[in-house]
Amino acid sequence: MVKMSLDPVQVMSGQVKELKVAPSSNGESRGSWEAKEEFDQDHLGLTTKPKPVTGRRARKVEGGVFFPKPENAVTVAVSSRVLFRTEREQKVFEQKGVEEYLRYQIEHETEPFAPGPAFPFVKALEAVNTRLRELYPQSEELFDIVLVTYNHAHVGIRLINTINHHNLFIERFCMTGGSSPIGYLKAWHTNLYLSADADKVREALAEGIAAATMFMPEKLTEVSETQLRVAFDGDAVLFSDESERIFKAHGLDKFFEHERDNEDILLDHGPLKGFLEALGKLQKKFYAKGQRLDCPIRTYLVTARSAASSGIRALKTLRAWGLEIDEALFLAGAPKGPMLEKIRPHIYFDDQMFHVEGAAEMGTVAAHVPYGIAQKYTKQKTSVGK
Amino acid sequence: MVSTIQNTDVKQKDADLAVVVAVTTRAVFESADDDGGDVYGVGVAFPLLQALHKVNERLLEESPAESLLFDVILITTDDEQQQQCSRITGSTRHYGLEVSRFCFSSQEDFTESLLKNNVQLFLTTDRNEALRASQNGVLSALLDQQLASCPSEQLRVMISGDAVLRPDTDPVPAGQKGAQSFSTQLGQMRQKFGIFNSPLSIVLVTLHGGRESCGDALRTLRSRGVSVDEAHCLAGAPRGPILSVLRSHFLLCDVVSCLEE
Repeated sequence: MVKMSLDPVQVMSGQVKELKVAPSSNGESRGSWEAKEEFDQDHLGLTTKPKPVTGRRARKVEGGVFFPKPENAVTVAVSSRVLFRTEREQKVFEQKGVEEYLRYQIEHETEPFAPGPAFPFVKALEAVNTRLRELYPQSEELFDIVLVTYNHAHVGIRLINTINHHNLFIERFCMTGGSSPIGYLKAWHTNLYLSADADKVREALAEGIAAATMFMPEKLTEVSETQLRVAFDGDAVLFSDESERIFKAHGLDKFFEHERDNEDILLDHGPLKGFLEALGKLQKKFYAKGQRLDCPIRTYLVTARSAASSGIRALKTLRAWGLEIDEALFLAGAPKGPMLEKIRPHIYFDDQMFHVEGAAEMGTVAAHVPYGIAQKYTKQKTSVGK
Repeated sequence: MVSTIQNTDVKQKDADLAVVVAVTTRAVFESADDDGGDVYGVGVAFPLLQALHKVNERLLEESPAESLLFDVILITTDDEQQQQCSRITGSTRHYGLEVSRFCFSSQEDFTESLLKNNVQLFLTTDRNEALRASQNGVLSALLDQQLASCPSEQLRVMISGDAVLRPDTDPVPAGQKGAQSFSTQLGQMRQKFGIFNSPLSIVLVTLHGGRESCGDALRTLRSRGVSVDEAHCLAGAPRGPILSVLRSHFLLCDVVSCLEE
């Protein structure tokens, strides 16, 4: 095991020096990562008056677009098992079969489920929507949450009661009664699918839909209710698994050599790149209204790469793609758990169960992206970093 | 002039207890590339007829003396088709379709034929025919081209959640009572099968409303004894992509406005 001499370095986007970009970029090339130009003074304030929100929750926004078209929104499909805690019901299903399971559900119809691992994430999406609606009342560029579940419609009433109880803003459902939800995910223009079922997640990824498996951590650290924080691993999540393949096949030194030799060649994209892009688009809407410092969306790259060497290729790639990430943390192999505990993201995406479990141990909601070469090595728990 | 002929190849159902479904011959048989032969080509409603047959088959498996079955009749709705008596009966026999009766009527009197035969559901590819039948008090549903690619081993009926009339609303107009009683009968049929592997699937679709409409519809249907298998709440999302994944054979709706959409 090679011990890195660098401590985890926190690299703020404003501090990275001008980087060369290879001519063969596969993304739009942007200017340097230095501080943006001064705000346009005329647009510092709001250009439209925010619509007053009355009552418990304004069901109808007058004149505003209330239900966005899925293709215009950032559609997040969540399954009932990750939005809520349904362990007890799952046990009934596994031990006593489907008829008993449905009977149980109907019997307990008025008992709302407790929040599941995706609950804080969904609440944060709604908080962002509230801010977006204030600034852009006519826009359909919002988060749209669809409950997509394998469940039979018998369970529908209990799910609806639960949504009402928790004051969630979910108006779209897809209860497939046992059929595969994958076709519906496409029909709903899903940007991100979260489920407890790894097979469904793999199917979705195979269809080109960003997806991840979620687990309920033992303890849950408190997360922000006003700022959505999303953290991503780099390789095999935002980027393809090409470098990881080198590492797994030939070891750390070969990996470093490869990254150095290919520093100017962009990495290929990974399954979650599109979702980061969608988040970036929404962030820019806040920047355009002078709310960069107060932006309710914050993104993080938490990678085992190291800042001085292999990390450079990651940054160049992001930059060439025109994607901004608010904070990039290069851990050079150090465990991710403590760093994530500091960041407190609503969700953290990683392709390796080892890291997902490590994060969960420290109270972070981590989601597994079952993509790439790491899936063949799930049995091995290595602590060798990159 | 209306005439009704029994199909002697098929065992007649108990007309009082069965669910009478009339399908137009135009929907069942393809007459577009007509070569004038004895037998018509297969039309869009073929998978639908096969699915109806499948439900009957499975119902009889569960209970050989079952009388709550689909009673399918073919009906002509224009003069041209009305003349094709032997070709229609011949084609039906050729394909072995489980059709118990043929009604030969014309444009003017087909609604009369529907009423005479106690038709509980009229299925056609022609919107005007559906509207006319509906206005005469017969529950109607429109069949579209997508029907040709629907499954033939499972009947998938879509119920519109936006239009499920609540029990406490104004008295139901006579024409729409049909929708409620039909869905109740579907519910009874559905109960004869288990959760999985059912030849009949009831799909609730709320096109415009959100979860409140969806929840209300689920509760109302449950009070009528209708257990819904799948529920989709669109809240205004474009319906095309989702309906094409759903692959339902037809949409049941309590209100006439569904046909006008």
